[in-house]
This record gives sequence, C-alpha cells and structure tokens, in this order.
Amino acid sequence: MTWEYIGDLILSILYTQTGVPNLEVKQLIMLAISGLFIYLAVGKKFEPLLLLPIGFGIFLVNFPLVPLMGYTEHGTPELIRAFYKYGVEWEIIPCVIFLGLGAMTDFGPLIANPKTLIIGAGAQLGVFVTYIGVLFFGFTLKEAASVGIIGGADGPTTIYLTTKLAPHLLGANALAAYSYMAMVPLIQPPIMKLLTTRYQRKIRMRQLREVSTREKLFFPLIASVLIILLVPAVAPLMGMFMFGNFMRESLVVKRLSETAQNALMNIVTIFLGLSVGATMQAEVFLNWKPLLIFGFGLIDFVICTAGGILTVHVMNLFLKDKINPLIGSAGVSAVPMSARVSHNMGIQEDPNNWLLMHAMGPNLAGVIGSAAAAGMFIAMFQ
Amino acid sequence: MKTKSSRPNHTVRTIGLMVGLWCGLAIANAGWAAFGDDLEKPKPEFTRQEERMAAKLIPRGKSSSVLIEFQAAGGRLLGIEGVDFDPAGQRGMDAKDFRSDLFAVTAGGISPGGEVKLSLSSNYFTQATELWVLNRASKTPWLPAGAESIERPDRVQELVVAVKDGGPLDSDGASNGEIVLIVGPKDSFWGYALGTLFIRFFGVFLVLGVLQAGMLLAGQVFQALDRRKETPKFAAVRTTALGEEPEKVSEGIEAEAATAIGVALHLHLAALRAEAAMNLEPSDASSWARQGRTQIMRDRLLTHDRAGRK
Repeated sequence: MTWEYIGDLILSILYTQTGVPNLEVKQLIMLAISGLFIYLAVGKKFEPLLLLPIGFGIFLVNFPLVPLMGYTEHGTPELIRAFYKYGVEWEIIPCVIFLGLGAMTDFGPLIANPKTLIIGAGAQLGVFVTYIGVLFFGFTLKEAASVGIIGGADGPTTIYLTTKLAPHLLGANALAAYSYMAMVPLIQPPIMKLLTTRYQRKIRMRQLREVSTREKLFFPLIASVLIILLVPAVAPLMGMFMFGNFMRESLVVKRLSETAQNALMNIVTIFLGLSVGATMQAEVFLNWKPLLIFGFGLIDFVICTAGGILTVHVMNLFLKDKINPLIGSAGVSAVPMSARVSHNMGIQEDPNNWLLMHAMGPNLAGVIGSAAAAGMFIAMFQ
Repeated sequence: MKTKSSRPNHTVRTIGLMVGLWCGLAIANAGWAAFGDDLEKPKPEFTRQEERMAAKLIPRGKSSSVLIEFQAAGGRLLGIEGVDFDPAGQRGMDAKDFRSDLFAVTAGGISPGGEVKLSLSSNYFTQATELWVLNRASKTPWLPAGAESIERPDRVQELVVAVKDGGPLDSDGASNGEIVLIVGPKDSFWGYALGTLFIRFFGVFLVLGVLQAGMLLAGQVFQALDRRKETPKFAAVRTTALGEEPEKVSEGIEAEAATAIGVALHLHLAALRAEAAMNLEPSDASSWARQGRTQIMRDRLLTHDRAGRK
C-alpha cells in the first residue's frame, strides 16, 4: 500500500460518498429558495401547514447524492419518491385532502343562498384567461391548463390537475397556489375597492334562512348526482369531498368524520408537502417556467377576484335583494381566508354589516367551481 | 399606529424579495431552460393489417391515445413513418397546428405517372381538419392537399387525397411508380384553444347553474316538509295563546323580555351611531379655535339635555 493509493482512495471516497465536492451553484440557489419558503412559513406564518413541509422538501432534495427522490438499483423508490409515487402520482393524497375538507365544511350558507353558486362560477374567469395567456408564452395546452387552475385558489385541485396534466410543473404550480393563497388579504382588497363604490360596499344583505339538518344531509347526495353526471372527470375530487361532508352531516360516524378532519388530514398534508417540495430539484426546476408561473399566478388571482365581483354586479342588475359585491371576491375559494377578507372590507365601511356568512356561500361555491373547471380541463384532454 | 404602517412595508419587502430572487435565478439559469421544447411530440406506433396501416399515438394536448388508419386506393401502402417537425423546414408553419404529427407515407404498385387515392381516417379528426403536405423540393414546401372530408356514420372522419406520381405532392419528385407523401392533419391550434376556452368557461356556469337550480328545488321541497311538520306545533301555540297563558309568545322567551332586549339593542346601536357622528375630521383651525368651538357645542347641547334641565 502506497501513499498515492491512500490518497486516491480518500479522493474517491470524497467524490463518490460525500456531498461537499458535488455541491453545485444551482443546488445552492435551490437551498436559498427553500430557506425563503421556510422563512415565509415560520417567520411570516404564510400558509405554514403547507409551505413548511414544501420548503423542507425542497431543502432536503437539493443536497448532492441524497437517496430521496430516486430509485434503488432494484427499482424500489427511495423515501420521498415513495411518498410521491403512491401519494401524488397515484392521485391519492389530493382526493384524501378533499375528503377531509368535505368533513370540515358546513354547506349551510351555500344551501341557504344557492344564488351564490353563480359567483363561484364567475370567479373562475382568471383560470381561463390565464390558460390563454400562458399559451402565448409557449406553454403546451396541458401546461396552460395546469397553470390556469392556480387562480382557483384551491391547493389540492391545483395539485390534482397538475399531476394529471403537467407533472413536471407540480412544484412551481403548488408553490404559486399556496403562496398566493396566503397573500389573499394583500392581493384582494385593492381590487375590491377598485371595482366597488362606497355605496355598494355598504349594501346589507338579508339574513340567511335557517337550514335544516335534513337539507344539509341531502346536499352532498344531490350535489354529487348533478356534478358527477355533468362532469364525470371530477368524480374523484367531488366524490371524496361530498363523502366527507356526508359523514359529517349524517351525525352517526362522528369518529370517522373527526379522523378525516384531523388525523388523516394532518398525515396526508405532511406527505403532500414533502413530496411536492421534493419535486423541485435544481435540474428540473431552474428555468423560465416557474418565473412565468409565478407571474401568471398573480394575474390569475387578480382576474379571478375581479371575475367574482363583476359577476355580482351583473347579478345585481336582475335581483331585487341586492348582493354586496364584496362577497364576490370570496368566489376564488381560498376557504375561509377570502370570506374573511370580504367581511373585513365590509366592516370597514359599515361596522354593523356582517358579511362573513354571506361570503361563505361564494367561498364554498368557489371550491366546487374550481373543481368543476379542473374536471372540464381533464375531460378536454381525455 | 406604528405597527399598522410597518406591516405593509414588511409584506411588500417580502414579496419584493420573492420576485427578486425568482428573477435572479431565472436570468442566471436561462441557459439551460427547457423553454419551447416540443414536450408533447407524438410518438406513433404503426401496425399493419393486410392492405391497411394504422398509427396509434397520443396527440399534442391529449392524455389518451388515438388511432389513425391509412389506406391507399389504386396502389399499395409500402410503409409509413413519423416525421420530425424540424424548425428549419417549418417556414411559417407551427408544430402546434399538427397535433397528431407528420407522416411519411410510401405507396407503390402503380404505373409511373399514375395516381393513388390515399385516405386517413380517425374519430379524432373533425370536419375542420385539413390535410397539409410538406414537399421540401417544391418552391412552396407546404401545400394544402385539397383533401375531401367524408363524415362516416361511426363518427369517424375520413380525409381522402389524390396523389399523382411525380406530381407536386409527391416528395420524391419522380415518376417512378412510387409515391412518397409527407402529410399531416392540421387543425388550428388557436381556434381550438379559444373555442374550448369559451365552451369550458360557460360549462362551469352551466354546471353550477344546474346545481343552483337543483338546490333551489330541493330547498323548497325541504322547507315545505319542515313547514308541514311545524304546523301542528304552531296551532298548539295559538290555542294556548287564546286560552290561559297570554304572556308566552313561543317556547323560549316572554314578551316582556323580548321587548327589553329589543330596546337594549336599539339603545346600543343608537349610541354607536351617535359616537360615529361625533367623530369629526380635524380641521385646519388652531387648537385655540378648536377648543372654542367645542365649548360652544357643549353649551348648545346643554339646551337639549332634558335630563339635566330643571
């Protein structure tokens, strides 16, 4: 054994078994990005439930030689690849999250005022405008659809559609969706003020009628029948959503409902966040597309907000009992943040005008609307 | 006040930081951008069944595969292969318009200078689908094939084109008893994208509109059922009201208490309104002048203070 041999051995170990010599600039950039999102989650509390695991996922996979997102020699997926493969690629986790969301949702305000469903449809305007907009920048039809859905402000729907149509954009789309959802209180108010007059912001709406437990129980069944008959492609998302809600309203499976709302939801959120973050490896993530996705995501949110408000203006032309246009912005889903924004804006104009429950109607309609839009896109590419 | 004004600054800084970082990394990495790559390039697989050949492929903008059948009347199909849509040869043509790829079809078994009728049929084609031919040897490399479009009863659209050996559509350019046709079904990409945009957007309105109608209907049914259920209860209350207990309005609350609550709410709201009315905008007047005005207002209010008057 010579000194030269020992030197070669050490060098070989350094290059093949340690990360330091293999660290590249692009990985450092990704580590900085992960730091930013972890900071936004921890320091700013921007959607921490998702941005924290996503940020940590980006952080973990951008070290050199880490056995996390690859496959072993025998073809077995490595740790986070397994979460991704079976959770996201197999489209399980977004649907399970919808199950939990359904179990958490009280459809009372929507049932009491079904007119607000139309606002949820109008608030999808940005989805389709962005879809056309990104096509001009060389995105494919499938990519454009997956970027467009960001404006629906519904994380699981965005992830579900992107996984189906453009899995290589999953990280950027999910990150844009959750980042802008966290920024709803900053993005929406200027648009709301711009598109409404002081008088319109003061409109008081008639108190919502009481909704019986029987009505709430039948709602998920009726909604499932109608939506799935019209857009079968959305059955996985809507089916789970309505199943979760049916468990809640049936009042006989409290344990299952609580599990779906809490433990199950939390578990899948961890796996979803890590998996989505882990798709953002430097070599696949660093290009112009994420930048454009972030830019268009913002425009998407703005147009969706405007779409909801304008829909209310149009509806008010025909309605005797006027709707406060501030609740139109809640049509972008982002439950319940955008409803809260509508309420706060209303309170600023008239301290006795409680819009929260009225805004929950379009807010829930937005969830159904964005899922319907996703279903439309899936059907389009089938 | 300080926290209120500093919060937006922080947020603007955070957003600025995010956008800045993104711009930086995008510019720094523009070199290896995969932008504009033909990610959805169809990869046709060809099969032969006697005189027919078929291409199975996933077209651009689709998730499921489609089948395109090729047939030659007046000749024999010798072979078909997929052709790359090379940017140099495009000359104003967009690959996106050719969603189901380009094919090089070779047909033989015809007399030199003869003609063969080639047909492409698929349920993926529409009435608007055209056939375009690429002939690199020609002055105008892209030519509309002038194909006849036939709608078959099984919802399959058939495009038939007549190709003359050595004619303008024949890529080998020679009258040699063999025809090489580079052909692709063309649909307007933007027409499709915009058309589907409107259909899908109004589709969302349709879905939610139907749901709204269903919910309104169901709501009326349930409300009617609930009313029917409650009617005997109200009747019982009315009977009792006419009889012995006039104070009870309903199960929970007495009339006197309801009045008291109503008055309390009215007073509370009136006080809130008065407070808001008193909250005047500060004027440009000096503090001395403001104090004087306040004093005058107080004196005036004393006149209306019934409780304080003797």
